[in-house]
Amino acid sequence: MRRRALCAATAALAALGPLLLHAALGPRYGGELRVGVPDMPAALEPGSERGIGAGLVAMLAHETLVGVDEAGFPAPALAQGWSTAAGGREWTLRLRDAAFHDGRPVSAADAARSIRRFLRSSSFAAARLAEGVDGGAAFRAGRGEELAGLAVPDAKRIVLRFAQAPGLPLAPLAATAAAVTGPAGAGAGPFVPAAPVPGRRLALTAFAGHVGGRPYLDRVEVVTLPDGSSVPSEIASGRIDVAPGEPGISRLAATLLLILDPSRPPFDRPAARAAVAAAIDGGDLVRHLIPGGDAAPALLVPALLPPLGLGETPIAGRVTGTATLAVSLDVPPVASQRVVAHLTTLGLRVAVVPSSPATVLAAPTHARLLMWTPEVPEAGLALAELAALTHPSPATREELTAALDETDPARRRARLHRAEAALRSEWVLVPLASVPVSYRTRPGVHGAAVDLGGRLVLEDAWVEP
Amino acid sequence: MTGGLRGRLLAAFVLVAVPPLLLLTAAVTALLARSFAQSGDERLRDALAAALGQVDRQMKRAEAEVDSVAAELPDRRPDTDLPHLALRIGQNHALPALEIVSAAGRVVSSRHWLAGFNLSEQDGLFPGDETLRVERVGEGYGEAERLAVMASRPSTLNGDPVVVRGGTFIDAEFLAEMSGLTGVRLGLRDRRRQRWIAPPSSPLLAWSEPALSGQDARGEVALGGTAYRFAAVARNPDLWLVAALPRGELDRLTGLVRGLAFAFAAAALVGAVLAAVLLSGRIARPVRELAEQSRRVAAGDPGAAVAAPAGDEVGELARAFNAMTAELRTSRERLLQTERVAAWREMARRLAHELKNPLFPIQLSIETLRRAWDEPGGRERFAALFRESSDTVLDELQSLRRIIEEFSEFARMPRPELKPVDVAAVVEQVLALYQARAAGVRIEKDLAPGLGTVRADRALLARALGNLVANALEAMPEDGTLRVRAAPAEDGVVIEVADTGPGLDAEQRTRLFTPYYTTKKGGTGLGLAIVQGIVSDHAGRIEARSAPGEGTTFSLYLPRDPASVVSSPPVRERPA
Repeated sequence: MRRRALCAATAALAALGPLLLHAALGPRYGGELRVGVPDMPAALEPGSERGIGAGLVAMLAHETLVGVDEAGFPAPALAQGWSTAAGGREWTLRLRDAAFHDGRPVSAADAARSIRRFLRSSSFAAARLAEGVDGGAAFRAGRGEELAGLAVPDAKRIVLRFAQAPGLPLAPLAATAAAVTGPAGAGAGPFVPAAPVPGRRLALTAFAGHVGGRPYLDRVEVVTLPDGSSVPSEIASGRIDVAPGEPGISRLAATLLLILDPSRPPFDRPAARAAVAAAIDGGDLVRHLIPGGDAAPALLVPALLPPLGLGETPIAGRVTGTATLAVSLDVPPVASQRVVAHLTTLGLRVAVVPSSPATVLAAPTHARLLMWTPEVPEAGLALAELAALTHPSPATREELTAALDETDPARRRARLHRAEAALRSEWVLVPLASVPVSYRTRPGVHGAAVDLGGRLVLEDAWVEP
Repeated sequence: MTGGLRGRLLAAFVLVAVPPLLLLTAAVTALLARSFAQSGDERLRDALAAALGQVDRQMKRAEAEVDSVAAELPDRRPDTDLPHLALRIGQNHALPALEIVSAAGRVVSSRHWLAGFNLSEQDGLFPGDETLRVERVGEGYGEAERLAVMASRPSTLNGDPVVVRGGTFIDAEFLAEMSGLTGVRLGLRDRRRQRWIAPPSSPLLAWSEPALSGQDARGEVALGGTAYRFAAVARNPDLWLVAALPRGELDRLTGLVRGLAFAFAAAALVGAVLAAVLLSGRIARPVRELAEQSRRVAAGDPGAAVAAPAGDEVGELARAFNAMTAELRTSRERLLQTERVAAWREMARRLAHELKNPLFPIQLSIETLRRAWDEPGGRERFAALFRESSDTVLDELQSLRRIIEEFSEFARMPRPELKPVDVAAVVEQVLALYQARAAGVRIEKDLAPGLGTVRADRALLARALGNLVANALEAMPEDGTLRVRAAPAEDGVVIEVADTGPGLDAEQRTRLFTPYYTTKKGGTGLGLAIVQGIVSDHAGRIEARSAPGEGTTFSLYLPRDPASVVSSPPVRERPA
């Protein structure tokens, strides 16, 4: 009898153990996290500034109407849902009951004001949205304050009207620049920013009124990592809890992208560009120099489209001359050395120009090597963003436009594949590898994640006591 | 004279001291400069030897390690991470440069060129030198070329033939380290690629076209505005190891030595001058003193004596001088005594002569009176003789009285009371006084302007002039010309009294100023002696110039201030 009771108790304990353990070690409120970033945003207002720091602060302090799910499709955020009418040309978004950090409720008027601000920002997604919304192009160009394609029927709904029925028209609203802010600039994100030390640190406290519920953490402090600092030693010393680095939480969210300038020799010839693409073996690059990377599918947006093996195979050749190469500082040096080695093997004399991630795209060099992540991790928008960096041929442009206008998801994906392959075949955009975006955390930090866009998500992060 | 002696002594000291010092300084400086230059060249040679020696040592070590790697490589189990294989092996064997190259010339794995795996090796080579290679290395976000000394050994990896190469970089870092150790700027000149391998701050980087030929070279070159001595040695025809030392160091040392030497020479010169001044003073002082005392002796001071330093020639001279002055004093005393005696004798003789003249008529008159009294019947003649004889006696007594008065006056000549006296006024006064006695004589007066005053006793001066004027008038009883001239002369005045009388012969001129010598009938012979005495008391001098038939001229030289004259020389008689 006693033995049976003991066995039963043991079995119960074994069954309940994980639950109990989970109850003991599961998410808990409280605690603080210090995140080290290489750069801090210049302002707290939502903008189109790229960079790890800017993306993190945007995720912590702001909320958008629309998000992107794991499949790369728009998902509700501040907007509870949406419906279409007029053959897909009219989209009505309904807002959740949410509040800003200053306590004011989020209204349709705030959303509309934020969309107007967004449409006039330098964001590519905003340009894309403005192209489709009625009167959007003129509004964006500053030719008037009238925006016929945006209406606010009531405090909880906003209506967007498009000239033509687009495919996934709401995707641009997932951009951080499209975050909804209050009249005084207050955000609606999970954390409330305190007074920042410009360029050095920013403290944010948990917002109990967040639309997704109060975050677990009481406080997040974002600090700038000193130049040349070692992330492992910074974490080991306890100065920071999370920072870019590996091993840690990661996601294949970035593309190691080589962009050749087709307007300048020696890359003004397609054959030369193809020879460059042929010379660089991404597989070797990933296998040996980029741990966790993936080069098997040479896609421009490998994280957003499954590989299909489309596209032409580049023809090897020889390229002579001199070229300058701007290399983004977030590219692993050994990877850039490999690229340079390949280019040198081709016959080129390469001069490397290190650049910051924010300026590498504008560098006046023959080529640029960078870790690229889309502004909005939606395949069509990402390809459009890439195409905007080059001057694709009319055929490629047409292919892309057709893909973006496709409303049927399956057909849309197929068209996007063809557009992506066409874009690649011009050999201006040379994807070398899919690269993980990783964040190293100290032991005891849980719940942190990396989204499709490679941004650190701390909404559900918690720390052990 | 003293200034001249001191100057000559000074010049002699300087000439004796300075040229040898300067020559010595120049010689020492030149020797030291050459020594420093040689020392600099030795440093350069030593630095080159040290650097080359270090390269050889690195090479030997590399050979040993590569031997070890090549030996162990075949036994390694198959490695899936080939690109990092060389990194791990290189870390284990402390080989900064290590690569494994396939038989086809592809890099299987490279520690220093991690990104170069599977690529064709593109090392730069130096013809004929298997140990030196220009390796491609990953640097920053790109790649670079670095010179390395490498050993090569064949081996196998996973059953495939490979070549293992390993070694050390001979790069800017290595050269900076060697430069720090040797204190010499080191650099490598790759003539094949026309470039320097040197630390970023090395001045050699500014040397665009070094002229290096043969097996070694040396010389000087200006780099960045600074002069350098350099030495170079060829590691192979295309790679030279160059060592350079700024001349500034040598020049600074040489300059320092030169400066010290010149400072020493300057100090020695100053010392020589000081010594010359002191010594010349010490030598010249006794000479100066001798000269001073000689002047005193010449001026008539018999008490001159100089200190006689013992032992040297100057002392001997001083002692001789002192003996001479002592003898002179003695002789002068004797002479003075003799002169005094002679003067007294002469005066007694003259006085006796003068006194005897009046005494004879007196005696004769008395005797005549006695004879007349004593002769019978002579009483009537006695009365007649008494008046005549008494007249004669009274006349002669009068002469005697006059002689005695003049003698007394000459003997008690007063000391002059010196005050500023207008010379022209005195001359005018005297001439006015004797104008009446110059009956047929024309008086010519020539008083130069600006005579001024002299310190003199006015009365005595007037008396002296009066005596001269009186003598001149007496020499021209009938007619003639009396010329009186006064003019400034020699820090004083000269007064000339000239007559056109009969003049004086040689004997008369020699005895002119002797007391009681006279050429005049009835003269006492004391007039000119009195004049001479007065002139002497005024520290002046009197000269007489005369010849028979040509008249006589007396010249009086009177100083402005008798006290400024040490002594007046005796009267000189100048021939006419």
